[in-house]
Amino acid sequence: MISIKNLHAEVEGKPILRGIDLEIPDGEVHAIMGPNGSGKSTLASILAGREEYEITEGSVIYKDKELLELGADERACEGVFLGFQYPVEIPGVSNLYLLRAALNARRKYRGEPEIDAVDFMQMAQEKIAHVGMSMEMAKRGVNEDFSGGEKKRNEIFQMLMLEPSLAVLDETDSGLDIDALKVVSDGINRLRSPERSVVLVTHYKRLLEHCVPDRIHVLYQGRIVRSGGPELADTLEAEGYANLETDEAATAS
Amino acid sequence: MSAVEQIEPSIDHYLAEYARVERDLPGSDESKRGRSAELARFAEAGFPNTRQEDWKYTSLAPVEKRRFELSDTPHAIGMDDIAAFLPEGLEAYRLVLVDGHFVAGLSDLDRLPEGVTVRSFAAWLNDNAGATVKAAQISEEPGSLSAMNAALFTDGAYIETAAGAVLDKPLHVISVASGAVDERMTQVRHRYVMGENSQATIVEHAIGLGDKAYFANAVTEAVMGRNAQLTRVRLQQESGRGYHVSSFFAEQRRDSRVYNHGVDLGGRLARINTNTRLVDQNAEVHFNGVYLPTGRQHIDNHTRIEHATEHSISRERYKGVLAGHGRGVFNGMILIQKDAQKTDSDLSCDALLLSDKAEVDAKPELEIYADDVTAGHGSTVGQLDEDAVFYLKSRGVDEEGARAILTYSFAKSLIEQIGMPAVARYVEAAMLVKLPGGTAFADLA
Repeated sequence: MISIKNLHAEVEGKPILRGIDLEIPDGEVHAIMGPNGSGKSTLASILAGREEYEITEGSVIYKDKELLELGADERACEGVFLGFQYPVEIPGVSNLYLLRAALNARRKYRGEPEIDAVDFMQMAQEKIAHVGMSMEMAKRGVNEDFSGGEKKRNEIFQMLMLEPSLAVLDETDSGLDIDALKVVSDGINRLRSPERSVVLVTHYKRLLEHCVPDRIHVLYQGRIVRSGGPELADTLEAEGYANLETDEAATAS
Repeated sequence: MSAVEQIEPSIDHYLAEYARVERDLPGSDESKRGRSAELARFAEAGFPNTRQEDWKYTSLAPVEKRRFELSDTPHAIGMDDIAAFLPEGLEAYRLVLVDGHFVAGLSDLDRLPEGVTVRSFAAWLNDNAGATVKAAQISEEPGSLSAMNAALFTDGAYIETAAGAVLDKPLHVISVASGAVDERMTQVRHRYVMGENSQATIVEHAIGLGDKAYFANAVTEAVMGRNAQLTRVRLQQESGRGYHVSSFFAEQRRDSRVYNHGVDLGGRLARINTNTRLVDQNAEVHFNGVYLPTGRQHIDNHTRIEHATEHSISRERYKGVLAGHGRGVFNGMILIQKDAQKTDSDLSCDALLLSDKAEVDAKPELEIYADDVTAGHGSTVGQLDEDAVFYLKSRGVDEEGARAILTYSFAKSLIEQIGMPAVARYVEAAMLVKLPGGTAFADLA
């Protein structure tokens, strides 16, 4: 699905990513963990096309295309989805309007006609039930006056509507109570299929219990210093990130 | 030095223009004496210039250097020509002025409710020999262009509501500059006399057709009786070479309410003066405004709210969106007189810059002489939130579309306050199509 090679990125001259190598095969769920400031969110943002970072080296091949050459909107149309750590509020523009615009942007990109209004509403009604939101909420402004948990549910609702090939979820599980966490992990599990891949950026093992990843990678100081199966989460929980520096030194040498 | 020597050539032209049309102007000899006095006042003061504090950022030099003439008759236009300016779904009475003259054939004033008079101001003046003409009956400092209007106005809307009368549908007053001939001007004047407990909603719509240069100089006066309510929506959609100046003066008696919503989308240059005096207790005023200069447009809003006596309320909110080389000016004066204790006032002005070539000068101005008042004010100038732009792009919306959607979001809450959904939708759509990439999202409205 996606192949990241030697990715270096900096912001205002300060290196954030210092050579990321990561392969995510079709149909797999990979988790990215690591301490604050290790570059997890930066990696997620760069994959989605945020422009404030300067890519100094490396490549990201997604479905045989160089992702780094596409704008954020083009990446979305190619099937990349970013679940935001801090979803934005857009008062006066309804969630449904945005979703219809997003779906139609994809269709236009692929040379297809706009989605039928009735089909769209049926689809929205079906998917919104999965995240425990109401159509009333969907008709409100994008995340307008939503609680933190509602915003995250809404990200998952959007993801289910847009049916991405590659979903990158940036701490979508942070700050959630157990019910909301279940909604989020159910949503991710619902999306799982041999044609779709998921990147979970998370601080917490809790999500990975509901949504078991194929691989876990540990990011530290802009590099992946350790990779393993789902059991790595237990190790990290037991040991913390304290001995990563030695790993980092070992990788660097 | 004699008075004649002081007169500049541009003023000379308007003196000659008055002499040319005086006989045809509506009103009695008495009113002509009033016009002539105002003409002298205009001649003495001249066009406003940038040395005056109130006109510091807005130069009328392009107006002053031209020689605009009044149209003796309205150019023949049909409903088709103005159809695009009628908000879809708006059930309204309609009074249409073309090139400064009332056109019955384009108007719809049938079945007005009892106690409500809506007619051509010219016809009303001709029927009321005792009526006087002044730059502004209800302002002491109406400005030289209001004096010019008093001298030269050809027609307008005269609206009078008897005590308790309610205008059951909005009245759409459209002033069209036909653009049939180059360098024409319209001098239009409206008067609203609102009786006790009466209520009316009026949409004053200035539109320009064609691409000729013209000058539209309008004045509206509103006298608000006790507990009367006026909602006035001022839509300004002059064409690209239209120079627009309009002034609103209201005087509000006890318990009266004025809701004034300004929307400025058009014109090469527009200067809008919006004024009210709250002269009695519990009078309440709301001034809202949205302005959107793009290209090389210049839009200047000056407002003035005077709290003259105790226990009155004012709320003012302006939002500007500036794109291209657009230039905006906002000056909001709140004057709270010594006797105006317990005044409750709040003003905010926010501006959104969509381009680094756009510029705005926005300033709330408070003058407070009473010591027991609530008077809040705030002013912001900013750009679109790049996180929000990225959010929309990450969903597949292109860059321009993302910016248009967020701009719409910025202005929408204020436009909604117009209260008439058909008009709000019309304004939102007109705003979106002005924005780069906005046409694709005109269905947001």
